[in-house]
Parts: sequence; C-alpha cells; structure tokens
Amino acid sequence: MAKKRSPYLLVKVIFAVVCLFLFLKYAAPKVFQVLMAKEHLMPTPSTLMMWYMIMGVLAGLVYATTSNQKFADFLGFLLPEKGAMVKSFIRKMLFFAFPVIIGWFVYTWSIPGAASPVELRIQHPTLPQEFEKMENPFRNTDAETQRKCIEEGKILFQTNCRPCHGSKADGNGPFANSFRLRPINFQDPGTIATVVDNYLFWRIKEGGPGLPSEATPWDSAMPAWKDDLKDDEVWKIIMGEYDTAGVMPRQREKTE
Amino acid sequence: MIKEFKCCLFGFGLIGVSVGFFGLSSEVSAQASHLFRTYKHEVPQKLPETQEAVAAGKKVYEKRCWYCHGIEGRGDGPASKTMFPKPRNFTRNEYKVRSTTFGSVPTDEDLFRIVTSGIEGTAMPFWYTISETERWQVLYYVKTFNEQFKTETSPKVVSVVSVVSTPDSVQRGAELFKEFKCFECHGDDARGNGPLTVALQTEWGMPYRARDLTKAWNFKGGNAGEDIYRTISTGFNETPMGSYLEKMSDEDRWHVAHYVKSLAKDMMSDVVVKVKLVEGEELPTEPSDEAWNKATPMELPLAGQILVSPRQWTQSIDAIRVRALYNSNDIAFLLEWDDSTNKQEDVFRDAVSVQFPTKIPESLKKPYFAMGDSSGAVNLWSWKAYWKEGFGAIVEAPETEPGTVSELNAKGVKNITVQPPESQNVTGKGVYQNGRWKVVFKRSLQTEDAKNDLQFEIGKLIPIAFAIWDGSNSDVAGLKSVSSWYYVILEKPVPKTVFIYVLFAIIMGASIEVWFIARLRRFPPKLEEEQE
Ligand code: HEC
Ligand code: HEC
Ligand code: HEC
Repeated sequence: MAKKRSPYLLVKVIFAVVCLFLFLKYAAPKVFQVLMAKEHLMPTPSTLMMWYMIMGVLAGLVYATTSNQKFADFLGFLLPEKGAMVKSFIRKMLFFAFPVIIGWFVYTWSIPGAASPVELRIQHPTLPQEFEKMENPFRNTDAETQRKCIEEGKILFQTNCRPCHGSKADGNGPFANSFRLRPINFQDPGTIATVVDNYLFWRIKEGGPGLPSEATPWDSAMPAWKDDLKDDEVWKIIMGEYDTAGVMPRQREKTE
Repeated sequence: MIKEFKCCLFGFGLIGVSVGFFGLSSEVSAQASHLFRTYKHEVPQKLPETQEAVAAGKKVYEKRCWYCHGIEGRGDGPASKTMFPKPRNFTRNEYKVRSTTFGSVPTDEDLFRIVTSGIEGTAMPFWYTISETERWQVLYYVKTFNEQFKTETSPKVVSVVSVVSTPDSVQRGAELFKEFKCFECHGDDARGNGPLTVALQTEWGMPYRARDLTKAWNFKGGNAGEDIYRTISTGFNETPMGSYLEKMSDEDRWHVAHYVKSLAKDMMSDVVVKVKLVEGEELPTEPSDEAWNKATPMELPLAGQILVSPRQWTQSIDAIRVRALYNSNDIAFLLEWDDSTNKQEDVFRDAVSVQFPTKIPESLKKPYFAMGDSSGAVNLWSWKAYWKEGFGAIVEAPETEPGTVSELNAKGVKNITVQPPESQNVTGKGVYQNGRWKVVFKRSLQTEDAKNDLQFEIGKLIPIAFAIWDGSNSDVAGLKSVSSWYYVILEKPVPKTVFIYVLFAIIMGASIEVWFIARLRRFPPKLEEEQE
C-alpha cells in the first residue's frame, strides 16, 4: 500500500493553529453575536481562549504523531533539502519567528498590566429568618382582587423600578448602564423565578445595603425601599413584577 | 529516537502556549457603547391595517404602553411623572423621528422603526422583543389616537440618497453650521449649549435641550450620515428642531450632516482609570494644559441618584470623562463633562465630587458606593462652581473664578463631615468653556491625616466613584448624577529589567531551536522504524 507523503504537514498544523486563533479572536465574537441575537460583539473570554489554544496545539501535535510516517514528515520539514526554494524560505521564516514569538509572550507577561478586578458575588444569599415566615396577603384572594393588585403593582413597578429594571422587567432601564453591577433582568429564568416571593419582599425592603457581604452589598444599586413603600405596596409590586416578567415565583415547600 | 522528539515537542508546545496566554489573560476588558439603544432601519413586510389588527393592537397597548403613554394616548400615563422627555402624546402630531416633511405624520415604517429601536436617553424602551405582528398591530392602534393619520394618508417622504463624506464636505458643513445658525441652539462646539436652547420651554415647563451632537449614543433618530441628513431635512415636529428642507439645498444638507457626523463620538468607557506617571515634571494645574493629553481618557455613564429620596429621576448629565497623571509626590485628575449652561443660583450650583474609600480595601469588601456606610467610610473631593452672595441672583461663574474645593468624609448619606481646615489637602479649579466643565483636582499621594484621607499606592486597584450636580437642573445635595464604583490604578512604569527578560527569552528560544534542529539533522526521523 503506497503511503501518501505530506511534506508540508508542519506548515499545515501551524496554519491550523493560527486559524484557530484568528477565529477565536475575530470571527467568534461576530458568530456568537448572530447566534445569540445580541446587540453587540461577544468577545471570547481570554481564559477560555487560552484553553482552546492549548487544546488546538495539542490536537495538532496528536494529529502529527498518529503515525510514524506523519511524524517523520512533520519534522522532516525542518531538514534541509536541495533545490526546494519555497520550503527553505518558509523554514527560515519559522526559524526567525519562533524566538520572536517567545520574546513577545515574555514581554506581554512581564509588563505590569492592570489586572482585572475580581468581583465574584453570590446572587441569592440565604433569606434572613425574620422574612422566612412572611406570606403575601393577596396570594389567596379571589381572582378579581388579584388582578387589581397586579395592575396596581405594575403601576408602582413602572414608576419606581423602571429606570433601572426596565419597563419590560428585562434589566434594560435607561439608568441600567450606569451601574456596573447591572439591575437584574427578571425575565432571566435564573433570577426571580428561582426564589420564593417573600425573598423578593426582603430584597425590596432592604435593598443592596441589606445584603450580607458575600453578595457584595457595596456594589449593589438596589435601593432599600422600606422608608418609601408600604408592605402592601411591596407585595403588589412583587405580583406586578412577576407578571411583567412573565415568570412565576418558586413554590414554597409545604410545611406540615 | 522518534519518541524522544515527540515528548520534547509536546512539552514545549504546552508550556509555550500556556505561559503566553496566561500573560494575555490578565487584560481588562473594556465596556463599550454597545450598551446603548441604536436606531434599526430594517422593516419587514407590512401587516394589513385591518379592524382586527387595530383591536389586537389595543390589547398590546393596554398591556405594555399605557403606563407611560396613557390610556387615552395623551402621554400622561401613571409612570410618566418621573420622566423627561415626557412620553409622546399620541393625540397630537409631535412625532420626532420621521422620514416625512415637517408637520406631517410619520409613515407606518417610521413608526415601526422607532418602536423597534426605542429611544436612547429617554424612557422609551426598544420593542424588538415583541413579535413583528404585535408591533404592527400596536402602532395601527396608536395611529387611531390622531385624526391626522386618516386625513393625511400618504404624507410626503423626503428621499435620502447616500452621499460619501469628504474632508471638504465636512469643512463646508462647519461653515454652514454657523451660517444657518445651528449654533444658536446647539452651541459653538455643538454641545447643546446654544443661547437659545435654554430660553425655550416645553409645555411641561422644562427647558428644551438641544441635542449635544458630540455624544453619538444620544441621537434619537440614529447617528449614521443618512439618519442625520434625514433629521436635518425633516426636523422634529413640535420641537425647536425645525426642518431645513426648504432653507438649504440638498447638497448643503449633506455637508452639514457630514459635519455633524464628524463631531459625534462614541463613549470610550472602561472599568479602570489608568494614571500615567510623568517623571520629574510638575503636574498640570490648569484644565487646558497640553500635558493632559499624555493620559488616556476614560468615559463612564452616569445615572440619576434614585437610591434614596429625594430622587433625581430626570438627570441632565449622563457622562463624565476622566484623565489622571501622577509623579513622585502628587496625583492630579482632570474631570470633564458637558453641561448646557453655566448658571449658578444660591444652592443650585454646578459641582462635582470624586469618591474614594478612606483606605485601599485589602479584600473584596468596599464601602457602600453611594457615600459609604457605617462600616466603611469614604473620602470625597468636592468642587463647587463660584457663586456671588446676594439672594436670588443667578450668575455665570466667570473664567477667572476657580470655584471652591473641599475635602469631606462620609459614612452614609446622613453622616457627611467637612474636614477641618488643617487637613484640607486637595487643590483644584474649574473652568467652563463652550458647554463643557473642566475641573482639576490635585493632592499629594500621601497625607498626614491617614485616618480620613486615602493614601495612594502604586500598582493597586483603588475604587473610585463620581457624582455631578447640574445647578440649572435644580440639582442639590441628593439630587445629582452618580456612578457606581470604578477603579483607578497608578500605572507602574515598565521596568528596564523586562527587556533583559525578553532578550534572554529570545536567546533561550533560539538556542533550543538550534539544538533541536541539530539533533534532528543528526538523527533524521526514519520511516523504516515503522516496520520494526
Ligand atoms: C437604582 C437602580 C434600581 C432601582 C430603582 C431598583 N432596583 Fe432592584 N436591583 C438593582 C440592582 C443593581 C440589582 C442587582 C444587585 C442586587 O441584587 O442587589 C437589583 C436587584 C433586585 C432584586 C433581586 C433579584 C434577584 O434575583 O437577585 C429584586 C427582587 C429587585 N431588584 C426588585 C426591585 C424592585 C421591585 C424595584 C422597585 C420598587 C427595584 N428593584 C428598583 C437596581 C435597582
Ligand atoms: C417606560 C415608558 C414608555 C413605554 C412603556 C413606552 N413608551 Fe413610547 N415613548 C416613551 C417616551 C418617554 C417617549 C418620548 C421620547 C422623546 O420624546 O424623545 C416615547 C415615544 C414614543 C413614540 C414616538 C417616537 C417619535 O418618533 O416621536 C412612539 C411611536 C412610541 N413611543 C410608541 C410606543 C409603543 C407602541 C409602546 C408600547 C409597545 C411604547 N411606546 C411604550 C416612553 C414609553
Ligand atoms: C431653535 C433651536 C435649534 C436650531 C436652530 C437647530 N436645532 Fe437641532 N435640535 C434642537 C433641539 C431642541 C433638538 C432636540 C430635539 C428633541 O430631542 O426633542 C435638536 C436635535 C438635533 C439633532 C439630533 C437628532 C436626533 O436624532 O436626536 C440634530 C442632528 C440636529 N438637531 C441638527 C441640527 C442642525 C444641523 C441644525 C442647523 C442646520 C440645527 N439642528 C438647528 C434645536 C435646534
């Protein structure tokens, strides 16, 4: 069986790795923008990029070593060969590029850069005890009262919460950009849909300042509404808020 | 032999890539202007305007729009209290973004575009989140509020044929901007500070602010050349922004549009203010000093203070630009923001404050971003525009008056103290020019009052936040524009040793390479080995 030789294997592998880099850096942000229907580019996070690049290089090496012949071709490229002008040119290029790339890596690595601030937070810390037992007084009323409460709650929501959380409860109010810890998008299934409604009662009453430190209260622009909104109003807002966002609160476990 | 090579290669490849990208992964990602609503042009196939469509539209309207636009479309919905500009009153023809002549009603497509896009800088949300059908339906319903849509079935559309911008055209546009008195409203530098603009009042008794044309994100009808051309041609109904269709030739309108486009800049926002080292030089104390150009400017968006009452729902300042420099002794900040007036009135004065924690935080924990809290104190540097004693007088701060600078501490909004005269270490001054305030703050890196003053350290991330008061917007005390915590870092200069490392790395890389190839030549990989 005649084996196919591929004298440019090394160049091909390097080319593939470079392509991967260019894709991650320039094409992927655009692709994900389209796929995820976002307004803006979605740049690949640099740690993710690092892992993809490691995997890319690994894959290239694994491919080049799948058979001894491939590997011989892979390395054979680096051996001098008479009369092959193009090859020798590429070889020289590689020969110079390698140390330069290493130098560049070391440079970017050792210049003092501004490290990105770490801002990890727990979004839903434990509900304080005094709020655990609370019940929405309008939860078990007749449909007509409930409808009224939702409507009143929506008006209160639109008046007080809209600038940050947005008219659609999507976290896109006109002030939202100004707070680096963005106002929560309530339509997102990972936010208010995962908690019981008295959790919201606590968050609205006590706001950012009422959070424990693992939830970074110092960065939260969520106001404490306890001085401005009465209990009834807060319960109505909660009903209106869930309705606007089109999600339901988590049901409480039945306590026998 | 081949095995050995394989191992070598894997080793080098992995180490190289991981080390390299570890270095790159520490870059700080920039926030960009993509956060803002943009004007979307595409319009899909129209839905037939039937009785059913209008009825379905009423449902959508009464679910989503009436809180602002009112149940009868008068722009007086229950939520409209906290808005400026006010929601559109659909019973009048006050449509702004149109392709039709001044005074005409917009086309269905115009309505579709603006409803889809929303309006940046106002409460009007974007509605591409609801289906196209629903959007057509709701706007057919909106049309029923105004009879003019029935009488004027085919309004005259201003055609827009794109024209490429050239430097000459921009130049000519600048001249026309003066000739046609755009500056009377928009100001000499187009920052919305013209003398006329402040005099004009809306029916709500609010000033009609001409657009700050340097802020690309605030164009309601889009900031592409064609959009600006269309706006200049059609004007905004029932606002001072008139139509120039008749007054200016087609070509001239293009020149002006190109000029306006050349002024409009995106917000250059980021998370960390990088403070440049200027070795062996005095730091600039004048806002207009050339030396400021050495520092990279960073802009950030501001919101009205609505965390505690009294709340500022209708803030007028939406961005601040920051630059900073330091030398071995001092640090200096230049803060710039666009303000359409320089009117100072007793308590309502233009002012700015920079906020730091009193200590660089050791852990994640910081003081509360809005004036600190009982467990975390903040240090404030505040500047206030000049004002002359005399009750009720409205004065313009003259350029010769630097304003007053003071240093404060706060542990929450109700617990603010001005530092005693002996520990006032911050100096500075503010100058108002052509619709822009420029304020300089300067302080030594270290002070004696280490308990109440922040002590700067090189290379550390230090939280920083800003607040701006606009006197003419009745801003005072809690009524202000605010930002959340950002960071400031005094950049370490690149040490000379870095270049030695780099040189060393290159030599190392080259020697490994030479060794590898020499070895390869001595023991070329043999195919025969496969048959072993
Ligand atoms: C000044 C802007 C602002 C206003 C006004 C505001 N919020 Fe918030 N809100 C935030 C921010 C920022 C967060 C995220 C940080 C946090 O969890 O504290 C948040 C979080 C929340 C959460 C927690 C959601 C979750 O899943 O963790 C609830 C509930 C909430 N807001 C409800 C409201 C309600 C109801 C109102 C009106 C009465 C309101 N907010 C007004 C900024 C605001
Ligand atoms: C949160 C409040 C709010 C909601 C909800 C809202 N709007 Fe608006 N809308 C506004 C404001 C404020 C303006 C005026 C902006 C301006 O003058 O620049 C406006 C303006 C408009 C305009 C006029 C645009 C122009 O060119 O003059 C239309 C049309 C409009 N809205 C349609 C709608 C429709 C349809 C809905 C519901 C699907 C809706 N709005 C929901 C606040 C709102
Ligand atoms: C009488 C005052 C006045 C004059 C003169 C005037 N404008 Fe305006 N202009 C305004 C006002 C007020 C607005 C803001 C309207 C609004 O949003 O309600 C505006 C808005 C604009 C906008 C922003 C449109 C958008 O999409 O948001 C542009 C562009 C503009 N003007 C260009 C011009 C040009 C060019 C001229 C001169 C040919 C001019 N204006 C003359 C008052 C004026």
